[in-house]
Amino acid sequence: MTQQIKFTLNGTAVVSERHPGVKLLDVLREDFADTGVKCGCREGECGACSVLLDGLVANSCMVALGAVAGRNVLTIEGFAKVLPQRYAALQKAFAAVSAVQCGFCIPGMVLSAESLLNKHPHPTAAQIRDGLSGNLCRCTGYNAIVEAVEIAAKEGNGIW
Amino acid sequence: MVNSYFPTTLAEALQLRQAQQVVPYAGGTDLMLKDRTETAFLFLSQVSELRHVREDDKYLRIGAAATFTELLENELTPAFLKAALEELAAPAIRNMGTIGGNICNGSPKADSALVCFVLDAQLRLASAGGERLVPIRDFYVDRGKTILQADELLVEVLLPKKDWSNYYYEKVGARQALAISRLSFGGLVEIKNAKLVNFAVAFGAIDRTILRMPALEKRMMGLSVTEAKEQHKAIVAAYSEQINPLSGRISARYRKKVCLNLLEDFLTVKGL
Amino acid sequence: MADLARHVVKRDHGDKISGKAKYVCDLTMPGLLTGKLLRSVKAKALLKEIKLPVLPEGYYIVDYRDVPGENYVSMVDNHDTHIFAQDRVEFIGEPILMVVGPEAKVIDDILAAITVVYQEETPIFNVKETDTIFYQFEDNKGDVAKAFSQADKVFTEEYHTGYQEQAYLETQGILAYYEGAKLVIRGSMQCPYYLVGAVTIAMGLKDNSQLKVLFDYTGGAFGGKEDYPSVLACQTAVATKKVGRPVRVVLARREDIISTSKRHPAYLTYKTALRAGKITGMDIDILYDSGAYRTLSLVVLQRGIIGAIGVYRIDNLHVRGRSGKTNTVPNGAFRGFGGPQVFFAMEMHMSHLAKELGRDPLDFKKEYMVKQGDVTSTNGIYHCPVVLPQMLEKLDNMSDYQKKYAAYKKPQSGRYRKGIGLSLVYHGCGFTGNGERDLIKAVMKLIKYEDDRVEIMAVNTDMGQGLKTTFIKLVTTILGIPQEQVIFANPDTSRVPDSGPTVASRSMMNVGKLLERACLKLKANWQKGVYQEFEERYQHPAYLIPWNLDTFSGDAYPTYSWATNAVEVQVDTLTGATQVLGAWGVYDIGYPIDEKICKGQMEGGFLQAIGYGGMEQMTAEKGVIRNASLSDYIIPTAKDVPHMEVAFVNNPYEFGPFGAKGAGELPAVGGASAYVEALENALGTRFYKTAVSMEDILLAEEVNAK
Repeated sequence: MTQQIKFTLNGTAVVSERHPGVKLLDVLREDFADTGVKCGCREGECGACSVLLDGLVANSCMVALGAVAGRNVLTIEGFAKVLPQRYAALQKAFAAVSAVQCGFCIPGMVLSAESLLNKHPHPTAAQIRDGLSGNLCRCTGYNAIVEAVEIAAKEGNGIW
Repeated sequence: MVNSYFPTTLAEALQLRQAQQVVPYAGGTDLMLKDRTETAFLFLSQVSELRHVREDDKYLRIGAAATFTELLENELTPAFLKAALEELAAPAIRNMGTIGGNICNGSPKADSALVCFVLDAQLRLASAGGERLVPIRDFYVDRGKTILQADELLVEVLLPKKDWSNYYYEKVGARQALAISRLSFGGLVEIKNAKLVNFAVAFGAIDRTILRMPALEKRMMGLSVTEAKEQHKAIVAAYSEQINPLSGRISARYRKKVCLNLLEDFLTVKGL
Repeated sequence: MADLARHVVKRDHGDKISGKAKYVCDLTMPGLLTGKLLRSVKAKALLKEIKLPVLPEGYYIVDYRDVPGENYVSMVDNHDTHIFAQDRVEFIGEPILMVVGPEAKVIDDILAAITVVYQEETPIFNVKETDTIFYQFEDNKGDVAKAFSQADKVFTEEYHTGYQEQAYLETQGILAYYEGAKLVIRGSMQCPYYLVGAVTIAMGLKDNSQLKVLFDYTGGAFGGKEDYPSVLACQTAVATKKVGRPVRVVLARREDIISTSKRHPAYLTYKTALRAGKITGMDIDILYDSGAYRTLSLVVLQRGIIGAIGVYRIDNLHVRGRSGKTNTVPNGAFRGFGGPQVFFAMEMHMSHLAKELGRDPLDFKKEYMVKQGDVTSTNGIYHCPVVLPQMLEKLDNMSDYQKKYAAYKKPQSGRYRKGIGLSLVYHGCGFTGNGERDLIKAVMKLIKYEDDRVEIMAVNTDMGQGLKTTFIKLVTTILGIPQEQVIFANPDTSRVPDSGPTVASRSMMNVGKLLERACLKLKANWQKGVYQEFEERYQHPAYLIPWNLDTFSGDAYPTYSWATNAVEVQVDTLTGATQVLGAWGVYDIGYPIDEKICKGQMEGGFLQAIGYGGMEQMTAEKGVIRNASLSDYIIPTAKDVPHMEVAFVNNPYEFGPFGAKGAGELPAVGGASAYVEALENALGTRFYKTAVSMEDILLAEEVNAK
């Protein structure tokens, strides 16, 4: 008898019958085609695989499928769908400072930003850098991304 | 064939822990370094009895599955512990990682475990058959090896209430975030009526387990501040003799030098 | 003019931020199989026997016997790199065979069950002990023997620069399949036509009419995907032909770090003749560690030799450069391409020379800074204006370098010590020597369709540096048409001509120039509603003094981009840990086409360079890279350099589009020496290497206890 792991993914109730020890990263990419969740290292060191788990950013490569039973998972695709205003504010801010270079770290950066802004709607630059400290970027040097989050927070105006 | 378990009460969790071959999973941030498609897990995040932070007259009691983020956001958490948690990894790891997992993975680099050593934490280990209270310094046998039995769970971390405000914490890592400790140092003193009523120092990431040297601490306890100052050189020399770090990525020589530097600084900064 | 620097929303912004952009690891197709390589665990050995397990149905082994053409991956001038090892291996990580099948777990089991019988030979790990020098060149200028014979002081130093790993967030990956009779190779890469060349030979194709290479969104490259994708392309091409189904190889992170190309480690000896406190000559010896195979070392070494004296005018000069073999992973291209090593050594050496002479390092350096009209290290000329003095002034205003340096030089006490360092560097724009004219021969096209949409037909790739957007900007600016009317698709070699590889900081300067010319022609000849096509070919600037590789002389580059960097640090004397308090850079890239995009390039490259100076420690032990994961190979996080400011000075290059020169690699060249000089300023000690670790710092303090 296979176990069923039930959780909410991007606003929809879903079920997975894969082994509960499988990495959430693999379930999302392979079974749900959520390829916006990237794999950069598979050991929780880069943040490319970031998802929101009950609103908090987590590295999906370090989360077992079983650990999300009954919980709420949002990937970048879902974030745009379920929290469109917030996604729009971040998306616009990132565009305004050309913060996206190769793009591989970006979905993770956006979700970490959301996780931060959810708790700190008006963060300082230091708080932003701390909020993004688990997302490695090799292209940008981080300045533009930090600036984008600052802009989103300012222009956000009550969204968070 | 059942693959994993999802208890909702502690009693249920302990039952399963005894009856099945399972690996307890709180935050998973250490367990999931490997692919785990064969492991039967005991998922603990739904057990509410494991997530609290509360006080009674003797202890601050922390549920073993309290996450680092939860602890950082709780006003009861001592500043000393928060100092270590703030520098631990990065937000995504802090959101999932737990104090219990950090203690149980048996690594001498565990950041919250270091502080627990200095605070003389008592670990409440429970099984379906009963429970025991173990001082954290007796919990570790070797790197990665603890005395936790196959039918036991760490359920609570008890911090004996003291004045925790006069602390010193230093984590030495290769960068400002996402850094595995190359060395860590925690110290705590309490001075009452110009006398040392508490003196505790622990070193992490330099040996197979976190180290405290009770015999040396005993020499400092009860001394007046003046006496302690006179002992400064001797105590540093005594620690120097006892500290023989392992070599790894980082040389033993570097580790020893930094340990002693930090010890010196700790004493100086605390006026000893 | 102002229009081009102005911000536009990047063309690929929406796809990437939404998660919709598909990188090669995201692609799906019917029948897709996974391939994984079995790699050598010995650094040097004969392959005596390979014992294969019985394979489950649907799983295959692919090895050198399956190569239809020649078993090597074509690179520059050599055939060293095998597609699959044949009778021997020369480094740990060398690919021996590929296991192909539907499930990764089963593939892993098969790999674990394969036994390779090696007959070990004695490897060489230290390039100073090598018995094989792949390349050697000598550069001579003036009369260095005379300078040394008349010197009143000779000052010699040896430097070592370590590995640096590109650490692109997306690991390497290639997918190969057949579309009818046509072989399709796609994935993460910088140079689609390099793959065309390599696969044509590997598959024994008469021509490339039955081959097409597609560039997919690429998650960072920095030179690391200049040559290595050709290896994966040949391997997957062979595999897909054998098994008759699509095959994709995506490297795991650990595997990527261990087995793909890195920055050449180097030993650099600088010997300077001084007379009456002035430099009269320099004799430099540089030795680059190629690793096991030549790959790109021919050109990396040349750039190192040419740049060995940095931004300075040294009239009597001898440089001997060699690149030697060791039984380690072959090294290749990484932003700067042989430059960062020598610029590090020269900047440190000049600074130490100044200190030896009791001079201020910046004042000393200023005396030797080149000017327009000066002779280069290879008897070429700096034909274009050099605006270093202006840049230094701007840098000083931004960073307060001079005041801080003087203050920090005084004895400091307390736990923390502060320091500030400064470097001046250049990057030669474009391919070294005659490469652009004789090897690349770039050609691009501009097409206007009947509906008046315009398409850019060039093979240059956007790996994050924003080329898609900036090329489109050139078109919209010149033609005065809206963005939506311009097409620049991810390159497909069956559709676009070979406008050359996306390397050497050549894309905007050289290919952009062709694009500019095509646009101007279209503008002058625009016919509404009519299909029009314009082709442009590279024209070698007439003003250049011809480059001669045999005499190692002439204009090595058509022009140069310049950078001045300052880095301020705080050192913890108890632990050796450093905090970067500030990083400032002033850059001359001619003219920034899209200032925000160019700023992003400078900031990203600068941070990489600071990493190269300190936290990015990488060593090989017994021939294998020790720091083989992102927890062990430390790159900067968002918290590590919280204050970084970059600025541009305009110095338009006549032969670049709108005055633009090369920009991509420049910011990676100077940051390391600025960082290490800051450490020296803080501690009053000297360093001779990258990367400088916390241990090095603590040890230096011990030796130099204040």
